[in-house]
Amino acid sequence: MLSNVAAASEALKTLVAAPISVMEVCGTHTVSIFRTGLRSLLPQSLRLVSGPGCPVCVTDQGEIDCALSLLETGAIVAAYGDMFRVPGKSGSLASKRSAGFDARLVTSASDVLAIAENEPRNEVVFLAVGFETTAPATAALVLEASERNIANLSILSFHKRTPPALKALSADPALAISGFLLPGHVCVILGHEPFRFLAEQHGIPAVIAGFDPEQIMLGLVAIALQKKQGEATLRSVYGQAVRPEGNTKARELMESVFISKDASWRGLGILPDSGLVLREEFTRFDAEKRFGLSRLPGESPAGCRCGEVLTGRITPTECPLFRTACTPVSPVGPCMVSGEGTCGAYFRYHRTNGGKQ
Amino acid sequence: MNTVTLGHGSGGRQSHELVEMLLEGFRKRSIGPELEDAALLPGGYAMTVDGFTVSPRKFPGGDIGHLCVCGCANDLAVRGASPDFLGIGLIIEEGFPSGELAEYMESAAATCESLGMTLAAGDTKVVPSGAVDGVYFSGSAFGRVHTVHPLSMSNIREGDSLIVSTSIGRHGAAIAAARFNLSVDGLESDCAALWPLIKPLLSFEGLRCMRDCTRGGLGTVLCEWAESTNLHISLDEASLPVDDRVRSLCDVLGFDPLYMACEGCIVLAVSADSARGILDTLRNSPFCADAAIIGTVTRGEPRGMVSMRTSIGGERLVDMPFGELLPRIC
Repeated sequence: MLSNVAAASEALKTLVAAPISVMEVCGTHTVSIFRTGLRSLLPQSLRLVSGPGCPVCVTDQGEIDCALSLLETGAIVAAYGDMFRVPGKSGSLASKRSAGFDARLVTSASDVLAIAENEPRNEVVFLAVGFETTAPATAALVLEASERNIANLSILSFHKRTPPALKALSADPALAISGFLLPGHVCVILGHEPFRFLAEQHGIPAVIAGFDPEQIMLGLVAIALQKKQGEATLRSVYGQAVRPEGNTKARELMESVFISKDASWRGLGILPDSGLVLREEFTRFDAEKRFGLSRLPGESPAGCRCGEVLTGRITPTECPLFRTACTPVSPVGPCMVSGEGTCGAYFRYHRTNGGKQ
Repeated sequence: MNTVTLGHGSGGRQSHELVEMLLEGFRKRSIGPELEDAALLPGGYAMTVDGFTVSPRKFPGGDIGHLCVCGCANDLAVRGASPDFLGIGLIIEEGFPSGELAEYMESAAATCESLGMTLAAGDTKVVPSGAVDGVYFSGSAFGRVHTVHPLSMSNIREGDSLIVSTSIGRHGAAIAAARFNLSVDGLESDCAALWPLIKPLLSFEGLRCMRDCTRGGLGTVLCEWAESTNLHISLDEASLPVDDRVRSLCDVLGFDPLYMACEGCIVLAVSADSARGILDTLRNSPFCADAAIIGTVTRGEPRGMVSMRTSIGGERLVDMPFGELLPRIC
């Protein structure tokens, strides 16, 4: 792997003469890039911009508040680890748990079913967060709960779809993105089709890549080559893993349970058809309806520029709160909290001035 | 800090904040302890205290009784003291099966026997159901120091080499696997008593200090060393021994093996000229076939921090972890 990475690094130095900006859409890419120190192997002319692909980070403030309010009803709220520290108006799941509320950490949607079955007298709500990679698992949970008639389980779906966000970003002239590095695992599910518009309608090269440094470097080389040759197509360097048609089964599973609806994204606002909510036949599992919750678009904390970080408008170091008011111990915005958040990655892995916290 | 959270118990920066707060009263009277694994006492003795609340209590590679003895004995050993005497305190939840308790004490006794350690004191408390989760162990160990000069992080000098005794993160990974119901074939805690392998190292003049990389893992120890000496530590990822099973578990949960707890792994700072000899001695000891030189102490930048040359030739920082380790979404 080392020699391939080194060769790609050399190739990029000659390929990228004029400055280009490539957006790595997915938080898993962002973290891999930082953890492997890959940025230090890129020519200065190649700028990497982190995109809106950390599911926790794009979760709207109002949605977080909505989830916290559920705890007050006495329900057990189950969530993935990243969600625990995201601050809402009245604290976070972690601080609520410290205060005695019942927030449970789960690593898969199926854990939630076990909680609901073991504690039949309690309401159990799953905070379903994530893109097309995690939505099928939530769909499977809902189907199973429906088949087994589990009455005390519901989900609060914050699931989001990737293509609408990319549509919004590629249509924004201010961003001037020269290429998209697309997440391999999302494309394993969705296939090529939903991403062709990037090249075909916007003339932006898009390359699907896996998450190890070699894959990322190959992806960047593929984008740089296209830029140099004045081409724009959708390509994959992820090999056999991504079939052009995607994973039909997983998509059917998702579509049998969810329907797309407008959703509010932190930093991007309301995007048409970008969220996934339960289909009518599964209304009884919809926590929003069951608890009469209202999901109002929330206001970001004062001074927080996560929205601009998420859309690649600024780098974290340009936010005045970064490393001053906003640190991993007391995060102001979600980009600092999540393991895949851009600000958190900058904080942990990237410091040039020797400054300490 | 208004209230104590799980993050304060994770061994990273927040734990430091908690300890600083707790010691304030002592520091005001200038009788605060130095922050090492065990305290060196007048007369050539060392002592330590440690608590054990591990869940699950039985895990691949050990149980809470074995862990209690290893944890206490290792704290002494890394300061050059033999694990001579042990005290165990038990806080037991009413209704706890006595057979299970006997099992843990049996396993603690076997570990003591292997070390020649004597149980000298003990205490039991039984609390109402729900007040603790099953049983908690606390241990205190006491022993004679076998070095002429105290082993301490203040001995670390520019140019020193850093050595780990075995592959990192196995205890944390085994516990995480059990807690999150992931089965990883052959993944076991590294929980072991290390005095037998540490003893022969004490004759090396170039041995500066050692730490066992428990809570917070190797990464946290190195960050503490860099911060306290205001030197720079440069790690080489390619030479860092990480078991494939630990690596794959960490990949699944989004953890970094650098921050996963170890219970049978020490990191040593040694003078460059003694590094080879110490490494060879270690590699001939039990559990230490994977021992490796993993980095150096330099005057480089950023000062007081740890950086890592990654296996693909990149550079990145290694910072102290924050809060409890939380598995990620995807």
